[in-house]
Amino acid sequence: MDPSAANNPELLRFLNEEQQRVMMNEAVAKLTSVCWDKCVTSAPGSKFSPSEYSCLTHCAKRYADMSMLIIRSTQSKK
Amino acid sequence: MDFSSPSPPMGSGQSPEALMEQVQAQLQQAYAEELIETLRGKCFDKCVTKPGSSLSSGESSCVSRCVDRYIEAMGIISRSLFSQQR
Repeated sequence: MDPSAANNPELLRFLNEEQQRVMMNEAVAKLTSVCWDKCVTSAPGSKFSPSEYSCLTHCAKRYADMSMLIIRSTQSKK
Repeated sequence: MDFSSPSPPMGSGQSPEALMEQVQAQLQQAYAEELIETLRGKCFDKCVTKPGSSLSSGESSCVSRCVDRYIEAMGIISRSLFSQQR
């Protein structure tokens, strides 16, 4: 990259923000894939059933809770 | 995300503004490609359970509902991840 671009604070800020956005999009993409498989068990209808909807709203947070549990339990076994 | 697709080298004597636009355009395209690939996999699984000699009308309408629901699910997941209440 042009060294003057690397020293451009506006450009650096832009790249940081874009990187954050990419990470957020990746997290949403990954969790949507996991939660779709878990929560949408039949052929998709014209709207989500109440149980599918409720499953989807809780799925991401429970996945995060579980990640913490797994990290803690693997650390305590070292 | 894959940046290996052939495109003009970044930042070669460009203005910062042009570079930012190029970055955003490439991210947008990568994002769209990734979504389409995901939808292909998910909706094929759900809607084309036994491939026949052509896509039936039932399968086609399932696919269009599947695309709508998957995008709705992304919105639900995104809100649940980035809103504060649990």
